[in-house]
Amino acid sequence: MTRRTAPRAALLAAGELLAWWAVLALLWLVLISTVDTLERIVGASCAAVGALLARTGRRAVSWR
Amino acid sequence: MNGWILAATVELGGGGAAALWGVTTGPPARRVVAQNLTTSAVCPALLLLAQGYGRPSYVDLALLLALLGPVGTLVFARLLSDDLAGERPGAWPLTWTAAGLGAAVVLALCVAGAPGRATVKLLVIGALLISGNVIASRALAGGYRGVRGG
Repeated sequence: MTRRTAPRAALLAAGELLAWWAVLALLWLVLISTVDTLERIVGASCAAVGALLARTGRRAVSWR
Repeated sequence: MNGWILAATVELGGGGAAALWGVTTGPPARRVVAQNLTTSAVCPALLLLAQGYGRPSYVDLALLLALLGPVGTLVFARLLSDDLAGERPGAWPLTWTAAGLGAAVVLALCVAGAPGRATVKLLVIGALLISGNVIASRALAGGYRGVRGG
């Protein structure tokens, strides 16, 4: 029997990941010296990885 | 030599030397407090030097110090927690003076530069510096002793 994730939980997880991603991408854009396409692509990718790590860390700390 | 470099020299000569003196003398509780305040003394000086030499990329050094300095203090607070248990070391007037110094330097640099991404970066560094220093000082004073795993 496969365990299905409740839609609400999936939506919450996606929202949290999106919020982390937005904050981290913004931080990247603020801290680099010149903004160009390559920087935007690398920043978005790094922010995506960072968002996954941030959510994992947050869940590990809050025991959920 | 311009005003920024002069200010950085005064800052390093005063705050840096005082921090060095505190770290090398006295009981461990005093040394660990001085070690924590070193970040607050040196980070604004690095910001002033970056402005004085006209090299915005040097600001990254201050950013890294503001990020890693308090982390280092937290490691000390954890490792020395048994030695410091009875002492609750703290120097709140000095801590808030250092925080005010950091805020003043960041504000002065924000006013001096053109508003833009660099201003936001400076504000991020200032927020990291002050919050990191206050949190690390509180950890040294035993403020988080009840926290699980702390």
